[in-house]
Amino acid sequence: MNNTPLYFEDVEFGDDIGPIIKEVSDQAVIDFVSIREPESEPSRFTSKEVAQSQGLPEAIVPGAMNIALMSQLLTGWSDNVSLLKLDVVFRKTVPHNTPLKFSGIITDKDESGSNNLECDITMENEEGVKLVIGNALIHLPNRP
Amino acid sequence: MLLDLHTHSTASDDSRASIEQYIKWIHILRKKGNEIDGFVVTDHRQFDHDVNYESVSKENGITILKGAELDTDTGHFLVYGITEKITSIINFADVTMSAQKLVDVCDTYGAIAFPAHPGRAGIGFAHYLDNGVKGFETVKTAELLNGSNRPGEGEKAEELIQSKGYNATGGSDAHIVSAIGTCMTLFESNITNETELVTALRSGSFEAVRMDKK
Repeated sequence: MNNTPLYFEDVEFGDDIGPIIKEVSDQAVIDFVSIREPESEPSRFTSKEVAQSQGLPEAIVPGAMNIALMSQLLTGWSDNVSLLKLDVVFRKTVPHNTPLKFSGIITDKDESGSNNLECDITMENEEGVKLVIGNALIHLPNRP
Repeated sequence: MLLDLHTHSTASDDSRASIEQYIKWIHILRKKGNEIDGFVVTDHRQFDHDVNYESVSKENGITILKGAELDTDTGHFLVYGITEKITSIINFADVTMSAQKLVDVCDTYGAIAFPAHPGRAGIGFAHYLDNGVKGFETVKTAELLNGSNRPGEGEKAEELIQSKGYNATGGSDAHIVSAIGTCMTLFESNITNETELVTALRSGSFEAVRMDKK
């Protein structure tokens, strides 16, 4: 997202992270699931039919993959950012093949020397409905 | 006076925002020129009589009051003016509690209960009325603006409020820090405690507003 290094001094309360738009393809989900289970059976994550048999409208993105996508918003923000903690709440299921907007906002800045920053993060669908929300603790170095 | 009537702290299992973080964020909002005088903590299915925000409110110049958001047999209800008498009668953790009983008990003991996000599918009051639920004659208020509303939910809430002639409140339904104040209620009177909040809510002298973020 941004290859320019950011430093702790560059960031203020209320600064935006992103947004970035991503779409998760069927194949991307299959690839993600097959890392853990190379010979996995069709599931609610990879098969519309299985998903519908479980009461879902369509195949959904696995929770762990959603967390990975949320973390990419932060780790892609700057080359020198470190992600220390990520805590998310799943509010709605995340479908495949639809644009997802990832955004964050800096909500706290620890000036006591830790160089840690807190931020809110959200994943929204095209209608602005928040599918996943959470917060994160990140770290930026001082400007050399 | 501008109060966000619907916020969740980390006491709610689905919230990631602490009271301290909300306070810091409100200071930032004010520095940027936004108006917000305070908020009411309405955690899910609980109320802690021992928590007191009076000193932290004074220190920060932010009115912080307590309420609750309860699951009922007729959707989610916001409750303000909660007393020990009320929590001795109503089990706040009971997700199948009678909303009519909740409203009646609140009416009797100086509190107020009304529907939260009434247009929300599954947990919104309007859908229960559509399905034939009757009663609730003493309910005169409902949440119109909710910061977490999904498409169609605000319209459904507005339809209910107009058809019933309800007074309309606003609240962010914040579960993360930066969401606080996105929707609020503008009161004509100054409010410093939960009793005054109930009086103001029963007076009908307020309106739901959105924060036009600067």
